[in-house]
Amino acid sequence: MAPVTMLEAIRQAMFEEMDRDPAVVAIGEDIGVYGGAFKVTEGLLERFGNERVIETPISETAIVGAACGMSYLGLRPIVEMQFIDFIACCFNQVTNFVAKGHYLWGAPAPMVIRGPSGGGVHGGPFHSANPEMYFAHTPGLKIVYPSTPYDAKGLLKSAVRDNNPVLFFEHKFLYRRVKEELPTDEYTVPLGKAVTRREGRDLTILSYAAMMQTSLDAAAELEKEGIEAEVIDLRTLMPLDKEAILASVKKTNKLLIVHEDTRTGGIAGEIASLVCENAFEDLDGPIARVTSLDTPVPYAPTLEEYFLPNAAKVAAAARELARY
Amino acid sequence: MAVDVVMPQMGESIFEGTITKWLKKAGDKIERDEPLFEISTDKVDAEIPSPSAGVLKEIKIAEGQTVPVQTVVAVIEADGAGARSAAPSAQAPASAVAKAEALEGGPAPAGVEAPPPDDEKAAPGPVPTKSDPQGQRGAQKTAAAAPAPPRAPDAKTASSAPPAKSAAADAGSREKVRSSPLVRRLAKEHEVDLTQVPGTGAGGRVSKKDILGAIEGGGARTEAPSTAAPAAPWTAQPSVGTPAARATIESAVPREKIYFGKYDVQPMSVMRQKIAEHMVLSKRVSPHVYSVDEVDMTPIASLRAKSKAKFEESAGTKLTFMPFFVRAAVEGLRAFPTVNASVDGTNVVLHKECNIGIAVALDWGLIVPVIKNAEEKNFLGIARSMNDLAERARSKKLKPEEVAESTFSITNPGVFGGLFGLPVINQPNVAILGLGAIEKRPVVIDDAIAIRSMVYLTLSYDHRVVDGAIAHQFMAKIKHTLENWTESIL
Amino acid sequence: MSPSSNGAAVAPVTRQQCLDLYYYMRLNRAVEDQMMKLFRQNKIVGGLYSSLGQEAISVGTAYALEKRDWMAPMIRNIGALLVKGVKPRDIFTQHMAKFTSPTQGKDGTSHFGDLKNLHIVSPISMLGDLIPVMTGVAMAGRYLGQDIVTMTWIGDGGSSTGAFHEGLNLAATQRAPFVLVLENNQWAYSTPVSRQVPVRDLAERGRAYGITSVTVDGNDAIAVFEASRAAVAQCRAGNGPVLIEAKTMRMKGHAQHDPAEYVPKAMREYWEARDPIVLFEKYLNANKLWDARAKQEIEARIAALVKEDLEFAENSPMPPAELAEQGVYCEGCHTIEAEWHRPKAEVTPPKSSVAAGWNVKDFGGIENSATGGNGASARPAASPMHLSAGKAVQKSSGGLAQQSSSPKKLAQQSSSPKKIAAVPERRPFGRGPKGKKGGGR
Repeated sequence: MAPVTMLEAIRQAMFEEMDRDPAVVAIGEDIGVYGGAFKVTEGLLERFGNERVIETPISETAIVGAACGMSYLGLRPIVEMQFIDFIACCFNQVTNFVAKGHYLWGAPAPMVIRGPSGGGVHGGPFHSANPEMYFAHTPGLKIVYPSTPYDAKGLLKSAVRDNNPVLFFEHKFLYRRVKEELPTDEYTVPLGKAVTRREGRDLTILSYAAMMQTSLDAAAELEKEGIEAEVIDLRTLMPLDKEAILASVKKTNKLLIVHEDTRTGGIAGEIASLVCENAFEDLDGPIARVTSLDTPVPYAPTLEEYFLPNAAKVAAAARELARY
Repeated sequence: MAVDVVMPQMGESIFEGTITKWLKKAGDKIERDEPLFEISTDKVDAEIPSPSAGVLKEIKIAEGQTVPVQTVVAVIEADGAGARSAAPSAQAPASAVAKAEALEGGPAPAGVEAPPPDDEKAAPGPVPTKSDPQGQRGAQKTAAAAPAPPRAPDAKTASSAPPAKSAAADAGSREKVRSSPLVRRLAKEHEVDLTQVPGTGAGGRVSKKDILGAIEGGGARTEAPSTAAPAAPWTAQPSVGTPAARATIESAVPREKIYFGKYDVQPMSVMRQKIAEHMVLSKRVSPHVYSVDEVDMTPIASLRAKSKAKFEESAGTKLTFMPFFVRAAVEGLRAFPTVNASVDGTNVVLHKECNIGIAVALDWGLIVPVIKNAEEKNFLGIARSMNDLAERARSKKLKPEEVAESTFSITNPGVFGGLFGLPVINQPNVAILGLGAIEKRPVVIDDAIAIRSMVYLTLSYDHRVVDGAIAHQFMAKIKHTLENWTESIL
Repeated sequence: MSPSSNGAAVAPVTRQQCLDLYYYMRLNRAVEDQMMKLFRQNKIVGGLYSSLGQEAISVGTAYALEKRDWMAPMIRNIGALLVKGVKPRDIFTQHMAKFTSPTQGKDGTSHFGDLKNLHIVSPISMLGDLIPVMTGVAMAGRYLGQDIVTMTWIGDGGSSTGAFHEGLNLAATQRAPFVLVLENNQWAYSTPVSRQVPVRDLAERGRAYGITSVTVDGNDAIAVFEASRAAVAQCRAGNGPVLIEAKTMRMKGHAQHDPAEYVPKAMREYWEARDPIVLFEKYLNANKLWDARAKQEIEARIAALVKEDLEFAENSPMPPAELAEQGVYCEGCHTIEAEWHRPKAEVTPPKSSVAAGWNVKDFGGIENSATGGNGASARPAASPMHLSAGKAVQKSSGGLAQQSSSPKKLAQQSSSPKKIAAVPERRPFGRGPKGKKGGGR
């Protein structure tokens, strides 16, 4: 089988889930005839029809609210945010209705909200968001942010089958840039489990999404200098795979966290606290992080490059940590 | 600006050198080319001139330590920097004094004075930088060094410096030395004094690599877990942190005189190192005098032959000669308490319990498990304890407290042949009984020659507290007990 | 009683139905009276909201639903909960945060639901969000072939939220079988409706979305019921959502803490004369639908029920502290299964397959719009659907005659509803199960 892009892998997941279970429906703007702004849903309408591929007005609150209502009857809607940035428009629905229902009155909302996320594509401040932390901060939601086609497909399938609302972030930079061969057999990837992309012993680099590739590139650089970095892909941000994180820290004793999200309030702070609480005496150096700046995503390429992390910045931070 | 002073390479095949003397101390001014320190290597001894003018900021490698060439042994703050007190702060001046003392070989005031017996808790650990400041090499190096300059003030003020008490001091030093949470935890777990570990991490902090090296290099375990007996056989082993202990592993001849012709080098195991240290120390500390006597074991031999099977069946353990000797020794110790004592400076510590250490030969060394409160045990109790301890000694299942706190020891060199032996006292005891082989010999009884099972017994005793009269009377008591055995053994 | 707009006879409201309506209104008020006492005894946790004067709306609308239909009440719709089958004890325990409440004390007031049996969706405190949610429920029900109608309520204040508009727009474009009851009780907290909305009749807001919108006298239980019944029937027939504006007055403050002194005395007196329960009693008397004994029997039944459920609530424990940690995620505690009332094959390939493409009939140019070339003609903004807007329903109430929103200026602004309701460009999501009559217009 030929290698497929992450985008294609996501589409495959949706097709397969909708084939498997007629309770799975898709809802969003322009997802039918047009096939979605990024063509992720291309072909779904032809196969599954109008009742299951629902095209909506530009009304994120209504879209998410309707999906929530559908999920109460046992449907499993996959909501597309045309750009994940627009999830801000339905923040109330997501955090106050969808997230809280199970805890408050026993109403699970088995729905997925997915959308193209992240920057590095000259998208500017409203088409480059990494909004994961608003929702990581909201109990009741699960958050997934894969970095490979294999994971994207497997995780989306798991997300659809999960009884909880799952936010599924798809890094648009990776959409067509990463390719890999996928198994022909049915498979899923479990939520809540990180994976080690590269074994190492001098320090651990923890990352996810587009920064995963950046971290691996940095690790390759570092290897030439005799620094062996262990690189771990979180894949799921909520719930965090605490065991994997702590096990790696216990092994290498140094931790560097890399994320494209802005610095303040990014998940690196949360993970650093977690490690201090649980593995303080396994640390042989301060916990470091490489993140984007605390600014909106700027538009000009020179500005955006300065804003974003890159392999050189990651390698520099890793070098310093290794030297400590 | 800081200038590194390194161990020079004195010849093509030379790869390490030992610092024998620092001619300057931290804080001293130094001129370019002025003699700074002396080294000893396999080929040559030399005086090393300073590479720079300025102030000697920090001495990194202490006298007596051996390091690879190119190792930074000191740092000079070149010209312009004022004479600061050196990095290891105010402890530096005292260290010079302590070093001098240690080199002279006299026991530092701390050290040997009745260190509490369970110092080590069988931990293989407490060997800071004894042999390997760089954390690179194994136990191969017999670092004949007084390693603990900052310790000396502690040692002077505290009466003794057992690791238990110095844990608090250690905690303090762990905090003062720049390291990391991981390093501090490891130091605590392995009882490593962080002030002893040179730091190669950022800003000179002690890094994971450094502490692991210190642990590995200093107390390299073979494979057994730390509670296993082989690690710490000698109850009386003084805290290995004390200067005196360090000084016991020294060479009588220059090292190059040892290496000639063909040879294999076998690094000492931890147990072997400890035995070596202990033996030297014991001989140095206690003036050994020997008393030899012979005992007619015929009645006991026949008693044993008769009762062996029955005993083993009812008691569930073997019947050897050893319990007889132990019981007899206990009687002797009861009668002559001075022999059941220890020495603390000018005090004689008379132990009220009779804890008899029994030397057990192992394939890999020697260990002395202790029968506690032997004075309360009957023959059967003694036999059982002994066999159990011996068996667990061989299977490495002894607990730390079982090799500690002896008050008197017995060894049995006769088992390997020979008439009798002259054993070394097991510190902090003041005497040790050596058993020869039990053999049939012709003796004169009532002017006739009889064939009797005879054994030579030797008492090595510490003449600081045990005089010949006592020693001989003690031996006579033992002989009498053995030759007139009355106690029921079943 | 009144013919439907298409002329077909509509069943009159039966005597039993009248008695039921009365019972539930009375029960509604009794439950709230009791809670007011509990509040003053410090037994209610948090705030207490009253629907005094609005009971006819809660009861009359909910009574039009079938058991299989879904509802999502708001805080002033306790009457609707009671009609749907919720016991007073559930309402008491919710307000008292007891462990025996439907949410085990996790949330209060009417923030609870029941997906499986009573088909009630819990509200959240933010207003308007129930509209898209119940739209989604309606869409899903249709998709699954369940033949359900969904209903929720909103106030005049809540009708200004984005969620209201997004939700109604979505419901309209999806032609969801959804009834929205807009209770215009004249006040949003302390702000009169004239300050909140630029139109007098909030039914206009529905018309803006091209859906059937009616205005009724909210204090006339029969009128409310009949309007609701018609709305539900229309939805079930697949003709799209309906907005019912019920005009009423909030007789108490926003909540217990609010004495509502901002309400002008004259206004209060006007509405006090229009108490819905008093009006209904008059109606029952006038039409000889009951007697003193029947009344007394209802009272007794209510009193006994309230007493029993109050005792249960008061004797219930508070939840254990550790419960706070539980339930954030569903990890196997629920088995989620849709209830299919149609063959799944209909929505799976190959039967589900369609050609992807748009069938655009109206190209959208100016010449086709209602205002036309010279734009002078004014058309009445009449409802395009079966129910005529603003019909005066109950004579005996003697209240305001409800007119359609007639000011000429309004009519000019809207394009002809008939035009909007013409053949949709594309069959929207779900005509409902195949073979169902009246599908999709």
